[in-house]
Amino acid sequence: MRVSGIAFMGGAASRLLPASIPFRFFGAAAAYQLLAWIALLAGASDVPRFAGGLGWPLAALHLATLGVLVMTAMGASLQLLPVATRRPVAAHRWPATIWWLYTPGVAAVALGMGLPAPVLLAIGTVVVGVALVAYAVLLARNLLGASGMPVVIAHGYAALAALVVALVTAVSLVCAYLGIPLFERSSALALHMTFAAYGFMGLLAFGLSYVLVPMFALAAAPDERRARLSLILAVTALLLAAAAAAGVAPQPLRIAAVGTGAGAVVLHWRLMNSALTTGMRRSLGRSVTLMKFGWACLAASLAAGLGIACDVPFDGTAALFGLLLVAGWLLTFLLGVLQRIVPFLASMHRAPGKRLPPTPSSLTAERPLAIHFACHLAALALLVVAIVAGNPWFAAAGALAGGAGAVAFGSFLATVLRRMSLPDVPAGAREASVG
Amino acid sequence: MNAHVSGRRWVAADGIHIDVRGLSPPDPLVAILELVGSIGDATPVIVHHERDPRMLYPELAEIGWTAERITGEPGEIRLKLERAT
Repeated sequence: MRVSGIAFMGGAASRLLPASIPFRFFGAAAAYQLLAWIALLAGASDVPRFAGGLGWPLAALHLATLGVLVMTAMGASLQLLPVATRRPVAAHRWPATIWWLYTPGVAAVALGMGLPAPVLLAIGTVVVGVALVAYAVLLARNLLGASGMPVVIAHGYAALAALVVALVTAVSLVCAYLGIPLFERSSALALHMTFAAYGFMGLLAFGLSYVLVPMFALAAAPDERRARLSLILAVTALLLAAAAAAGVAPQPLRIAAVGTGAGAVVLHWRLMNSALTTGMRRSLGRSVTLMKFGWACLAASLAAGLGIACDVPFDGTAALFGLLLVAGWLLTFLLGVLQRIVPFLASMHRAPGKRLPPTPSSLTAERPLAIHFACHLAALALLVVAIVAGNPWFAAAGALAGGAGAVAFGSFLATVLRRMSLPDVPAGAREASVG
Repeated sequence: MNAHVSGRRWVAADGIHIDVRGLSPPDPLVAILELVGSIGDATPVIVHHERDPRMLYPELAEIGWTAERITGEPGEIRLKLERAT
């Protein structure tokens, strides 16, 4: 039996999560990106010497991590991990329910931190925690019995374990604000930062990169053995950092953790660089420039972490570390990935057409992305200057530049969604227009 | 050095066949696009796959090719790829 192209594409689409699922996560992430920069502007006076504590800089940090990074990671992983695991997401209702819990929960956490209002923060933490546990269960169900790409699956498991540590320590930190001490604050804080950023988000980014970057570059799958070694080093670094946070030889173990983590990063970077330089598609534009910038900031964050471990006499070390780790590495890398996969997923999700789905290049919006690129990098540069010079005015200027970039990124996303809803172009007409 | 992902290839009356079963992602995608990119005329490509290659369709659309499912062996996804007309 011959099945028509239209019917076949319909069958493919039906096995994907509905487009509304990943795109609601991406849309919320775009909105929270803008809110993160607004919160940073509100707390600009405290940014250059920020080292923790309730206030708008902490709210900005969590709008970026929970609101943008984790929000996008959930949408992207639920869509892309089944490609690596060769297993579909079991229940389509779960992701939508998670979004409805998680999105207002993040707002409550951010408002609770910014105002500050510890009770609101606690309520938000519970809601976000429930949503993340549900996401972890969904992810674990997909990973269990998966048959594809063992190293990607191993990264998924390691990220889930790190998420558990990040959640437990988050509860401990919030309880401390309510006057209910659970774990010693500095230990909980060190564990929370390390396992949330390098652990959960970082390992998820590393694992998905082994699928995404070769796919972008049209390169062969990365060397499984080296990828596994990178993961082993990364997990070892996390365990060393955990032991240091627990008070076991703190300085030597922190330094060892940075060194081991650097080994993991070098191996990962070499695998990514190999994919980018050997792939069939060499010109990857701004998205890969942002990803490379993110990797450079990851290395720089380890250097700043070493500065903290060695008690470098500079008041802005903690702020610089946080900036490089969250905005420099994770946010920049993720925005680079997102601007490439959003048009791609939109093309995959587009309702079956007459002959061809719309091409990713016909769905994207280059001008907003160019504005976002310039504004985002300017924002990071201004924030580095603000921290180094201890000058809040540069922090405010950085927040404004970042906010402008976030508006441009939102415009890009809106354009892709609008173009997704346009009628199909017949294949012949497209060929004619391409020439 | 360019990435080279093989997949088993052979020529038959209905076109050039490529079997990408058993390859890890994104190797099937790369192997198919490598083959498609090497074809200068209207020769169809028959793909033997073990799953629905969702990521392939946007890439094919970008270079003006279409995919059509045809009858294959049990447990196999077989596709006929052709230049759009």
